[in-house]
Amino acid sequence: MSSPAILVRDLKKSYGSKAAVNGVDLEVPRGSFFGFLGPNGAGKSTTIRILTGLIPADSGYIEILGLRLPEDEMEIKRRIGLVPDESLLFERLTGFEFLEFVGRMYGLARDVAMQRARSLLDLLELANDRKIIGEYSKGMRKRVAMAASLIHHPELFLMDEPFEGVDAVGARLMKDILVDQVRRGATVFLTSHVLEVVERLCDRIAIINNGTIVTAGTLEELRSTGESLEDAFVRVLGAERQLERLDWL
Amino acid sequence: MIAAILRAQLLSMRVGGRRNAIFSLITGLVWYGFWCGVAAGVYFAARRAGAALLEQALPIGLLLMLLFWQVIPVLSASFGSALDMRKLLVYPAPHDKLFLVEVLLRLTTGFEMVLVSAGAVAGLLRNGAAGGWAAAPRILLPLLTFLVFNLLLASGLRSLLERLLSRRRVREVVVILMLLAFTLPRIALVMGARPKSLGGFGVLAHVPGLPWVAVSNAMLGQSELWSLTILAAWTLAAAGFGRTQFERNLRYDAVAAQATPLDAAPSSKPSWSDRFYRLPALLFGDPLAALIEKELRSLARTPRFRMVFVMGFSFGLMVWLPLVLGRQSERVGFLEENFLVAVSVYALTLLGQVTYWNCFGFDRSAVQIYFAAPQPIAVTLRAKNIASLIVVYLEVLVLTGLTWVLHVGVSLGKIAETLLVVGVCAFYMLAFGNISSVHYPRALTPDRVSQGGASSRFQAFVFILYPLALLPVFLAYLARYAFDSQTAFAAVLALAAALGGGLYGLAMESAVKTATTNRERILVDLSRGEGPVVSN
Repeated sequence: MSSPAILVRDLKKSYGSKAAVNGVDLEVPRGSFFGFLGPNGAGKSTTIRILTGLIPADSGYIEILGLRLPEDEMEIKRRIGLVPDESLLFERLTGFEFLEFVGRMYGLARDVAMQRARSLLDLLELANDRKIIGEYSKGMRKRVAMAASLIHHPELFLMDEPFEGVDAVGARLMKDILVDQVRRGATVFLTSHVLEVVERLCDRIAIINNGTIVTAGTLEELRSTGESLEDAFVRVLGAERQLERLDWL
Repeated sequence: MIAAILRAQLLSMRVGGRRNAIFSLITGLVWYGFWCGVAAGVYFAARRAGAALLEQALPIGLLLMLLFWQVIPVLSASFGSALDMRKLLVYPAPHDKLFLVEVLLRLTTGFEMVLVSAGAVAGLLRNGAAGGWAAAPRILLPLLTFLVFNLLLASGLRSLLERLLSRRRVREVVVILMLLAFTLPRIALVMGARPKSLGGFGVLAHVPGLPWVAVSNAMLGQSELWSLTILAAWTLAAAGFGRTQFERNLRYDAVAAQATPLDAAPSSKPSWSDRFYRLPALLFGDPLAALIEKELRSLARTPRFRMVFVMGFSFGLMVWLPLVLGRQSERVGFLEENFLVAVSVYALTLLGQVTYWNCFGFDRSAVQIYFAAPQPIAVTLRAKNIASLIVVYLEVLVLTGLTWVLHVGVSLGKIAETLLVVGVCAFYMLAFGNISSVHYPRALTPDRVSQGGASSRFQAFVFILYPLALLPVFLAYLARYAFDSQTAFAAVLALAAALGGGLYGLAMESAVKTATTNRERILVDLSRGEGPVVSN
């Protein structure tokens, strides 16, 4: 039996006295579309940044695609595609130049990188844009970031809010690409605040709050009483409506 | 409202961290300590000067003060702090109040002159020839008005230049025109227009009706009322200029002015610039070549870099060429002989602020790709260093062409010497640059022309490092002078190169270690936004 795409045990990361990630346990099976949910500041982005090697964990066990982090950091990086929360795009390059650059950073030959860059720009409907990325709209930037995560044909995608700021058509296109990747055996691990998107795409879900996983399982397990994902999410987090407190509004 | 802006700015600045605060404190002490020394010198001079000397020197001093305040920010493309209108325009803040804050922020480019003025005032108040304490109102009022005049004028000039320099293609032309305006009179003077001296400056300093002359006259009690009237008129004119330019800036769309023109039909053939960017791939393999190529493409499209690049070759010429063309002494002969080396090393130091001192600055949050990609960070640093060298040698190429056109007398041997000397200096500069880039990373906005990698206080820090970095090469020239021998020069230069190579290796090792262990802090520093006031 193959190892899970992501296996995390007792992961911890603190900033001063504040624990951003506090003993997280996660298991993401290969070939799954995994939604990682939680309120703002729950520890989602920190977890993703640790998994990509951008920041070190304080303690814990991390295995990605059967490889240990940080010991096999370079090999892991070769095999994952990343769309982080903050843009990793170089603003003074055009979309094509950036994709070619990323391809070469992942070891592709220049002509292969160029050819894939062209195909990806075609696919994501950016082929006719010769502007530098600094002049792109937010949605276009997300699409280029998505293309960059695809160019080296990774086995695992780590995505932090990949659809944020993308219009409906662009988001649909991106979702179709990801679904197709999962169908071909890749694993997608994404965070999103748009629960309808997660509900439609993901087969497994984990919810994190205050740095700890509060629930994890299949979508059906989470919605055991037939409720929507939003209702389940609010129930699990124990959130209450507090609007009535703003009596001046 | 002003209090709210200042408070937001203070709160934004507190997240800089203790390390940055200490660094800021040290560089601040060095820089302003130097200017306190100048102020002390001015104090003693003003205290002892006789009436005739004061009458001669005061307008010159005031003119120099104005030049420092108005011209130095332009020449160094370091315009100090300014309001970030993108963050403030959404609020219902009256423009007059914003203008007031903007004017006060001009103190950030001329605070040195406030110190010097304080020294001058203290000296004059203790000088009987100037009237002593009894003349305090007469001395202070015109000088304070002159400070206000400078603030208003600086504000107007900054707004005007910010707009001009943000336009595609226009900014380089503006820089060259500005430099010509500074250089040509000097060249004309030394070439024969006024062969004996640069006395034009002295004449300018005493033309009646000009603000510094009016201030000087008022301070010394000569035609006091008339002088104050002239000064008031100049100050009102500066206020009008500053306010108009500020308002125009508010309505200006910099993004539209900088937008890339769309190609009607993208050509399948690579352009000449594309071919240039791909040259590193002939010498290096990926990912090094890809990183160098990315660096060159990005730099070439960064307005701030382009402006500094133009300055790199034009400033050196501006400073040294008139002296060389004068050929009036042995010292000038030495300068002429080493002209290309001097201007090239100067260009290397100037380019540091947009390349090696803060090499991740323009990447901002995208720096995370260097940590996320399957490449050691050492490769990235090496690529950035190589790209810096390419840029520096391009600068040397331009300078060589210009000196050849100007008949300064550059031989093939001198060109080879320049290439070697610049290379040796670069070892030291890049070594220090790699260390500072990982210890003090700072996010820069690529499309903000007036923002640099170094503030005046950071430049103070750099001034400490420059003598250290240039000392080995200086020793090589000293050896040639002392022994009158090319062999001695070559031997010391070779030793300097070996030492530099060793230092570069050690610095690289240390920078990689720091970048690896402190990657989180680097990412945070480079992703950090600024408050309502942006500074450089």
